[in-house]
Amino acid sequence: MSLASSAAPLPRRTGLFDLLRPGARAAFMILAVSAVLLLFLAPIIILVVTSLRPGWGVYYIHRGTEFTLANYVEVFQRGVVIEAFFNSFLVATAATILSLGVTVTSGYMLSRFKGWLPKTWFTSIYVFRTVPYISWVLPLYVVNESLGLYDTFFGILAAHVAVHVCFFSWIMKGFFDGIDPSMEYAAMIDGCTRWGAFRRVALPAAGPAIAALGILSWLWTWNEFLFALILTGNRTPLLTVTMAQFVTELGTEWNLMSAMAVMAMIPAVIITLFAQKYVIQGLRI
Amino acid sequence: MAEVVLRDVCKRYGSYNAVDNVNLTIRDKEFLVLVGPSGCGKSTTLRMIAGLEDISDGTIAIGDETVNVLPPRDRDIAMVFQNYALYQHMTVYDNLAFGLRNRKVPEDTIKTEIDRAVDILGLRDLLKRKPRELSGGQQQRVALGRCIVRNAKVFLFDEPLSNLDAKLRAHMRLELKRLHRRVETTAVYVTHDQVEAMTLGDRVVVMNNSRIEQVGTPWEIYSRPRTRFVASFIGSPAMNFLDGKVKRNGSGYNIHAPGGAFHVSDESARGLVGQDGRGVTIGLRPEHIRLYESRADNALHGRVELTEQLGAEQLVEVEVEGARIMVSRVEAERELKPGTPVYLTVEPGQLRYFDPVTEQALA
Repeated sequence: MSLASSAAPLPRRTGLFDLLRPGARAAFMILAVSAVLLLFLAPIIILVVTSLRPGWGVYYIHRGTEFTLANYVEVFQRGVVIEAFFNSFLVATAATILSLGVTVTSGYMLSRFKGWLPKTWFTSIYVFRTVPYISWVLPLYVVNESLGLYDTFFGILAAHVAVHVCFFSWIMKGFFDGIDPSMEYAAMIDGCTRWGAFRRVALPAAGPAIAALGILSWLWTWNEFLFALILTGNRTPLLTVTMAQFVTELGTEWNLMSAMAVMAMIPAVIITLFAQKYVIQGLRI
Repeated sequence: MAEVVLRDVCKRYGSYNAVDNVNLTIRDKEFLVLVGPSGCGKSTTLRMIAGLEDISDGTIAIGDETVNVLPPRDRDIAMVFQNYALYQHMTVYDNLAFGLRNRKVPEDTIKTEIDRAVDILGLRDLLKRKPRELSGGQQQRVALGRCIVRNAKVFLFDEPLSNLDAKLRAHMRLELKRLHRRVETTAVYVTHDQVEAMTLGDRVVVMNNSRIEQVGTPWEIYSRPRTRFVASFIGSPAMNFLDGKVKRNGSGYNIHAPGGAFHVSDESARGLVGQDGRGVTIGLRPEHIRLYESRADNALHGRVELTEQLGAEQLVEVEVEGARIMVSRVEAERELKPGTPVYLTVEPGQLRYFDPVTEQALA
């Protein structure tokens, strides 16, 4: 084989996209991105517009110019809504803090230790994960009912922590797998105990991942509907269930429900924006 | 500053022996290199000295103290890891100070120690940076600095140069040597690179299959390998081996090998006493072989198979009756076409002989 032929550039693959002119390519890209954006933004736009329409205007939001904030006022005049916001915030935050304590340490154990204990633990959360989420709710209801935990904070909290632990221990294990264990060995030689090496070296290194997981857990519980519906009642109203109560015998009050949904988005958006930096870092680990 | 003594040390994983009966004394202030192919147990041995692996059997003593059950933090050792293992969330200064702070050393003393280490390693401008902002070589230096500030009894190195590129590796090798001369601490260094082993070690330990094959100075290991494995592992290009037969002939021996026969005198072949009529494995170092295109006495006859031009020298692979023999240090200018008939000779004193069954050196 001659040198010239070996140095020749590889033939370029040409597709339909390459046949277009550069200007047409840009236009094509803009169209494609817009389409995707529309897919995600449209429901939110519809939601926001609906929340600003009077009750009789929700079925034709594309027409009419009547906009009002009365829906928001009405929603917040109902005591249960405020209570639901407060309860959901409390449950989501408490569930996140409690479950992080378990997921972080159990993820670390799964990543670093061998033997029967991690193996058994891994198998059990694996089995729980394969069970469809929805099929847990009935047994949990029976358990909560018989333990007198139905419609209590502790009842719903325990259920959420259990789900978090099963679903997120894995993710945490993955994060710790990505952190080089020799850093902890170095710390142990530098005068730390095993626990000290975890706390002072592995934990800070996993900081972004933990933050990402924290947000994930928080959003999960904040948005969760099924457990809230079955395991809570009038004593502990939660956001998602309260929202669903705008569906009445007389019809669905879409405008009020939308107003509440928009309000419910706000804390989640704020938290996500605030911690986005960590989430992206966490994803990179 | 301390001696490290390993007595009958074993490491078992189930029925597998990762380290099998290792006996070794590392002298005070000595730079000892453990070398061997991957999986030979050298890293496990080092990690047992560090306390990162449990010892299945035997004892390890650092100084006068048996450290078998002592956790790593109480062994007064310092270690450099292959991937540096710097604390990613701390600055270089905090990385260096971490071990001292854990030992409740006053901040003033820490500062003086770090100043000293920073001067030795040229890290002055990097103290405020985070590890990920440093190049591989700089990270390696910080890892070394972490050892120096500790004034530990023993330094342990686990393949510290293998993540660096070839040029930087050669440079850091020299720096390590200079550093050891300056700091004078007992050091145990694990590598799979025989060049590092030869250049850095006061003594070299060659390991294979979980056992120690030979302990000695680099020159002893190179010139008097005790087993065929050591002979093939140390030296580059690797030693050539030929199966031959020994015949007593006057005041010496004739060794019949593929491609010809050598005559060696008694004094240059003391290992062959009692081998008359038996088969031996002959070891020839590529750098000891001379290559002639004209007929030569006491030579093996073969044909050039391949040449590799290195600029300063040529490596020539010669085919000798089915066996392939590598010859190095052939003048770069010589033109050797594949197929050229050639004659290979060696100083009889430079031949090595091994028992073909036990693979032990005959000497």
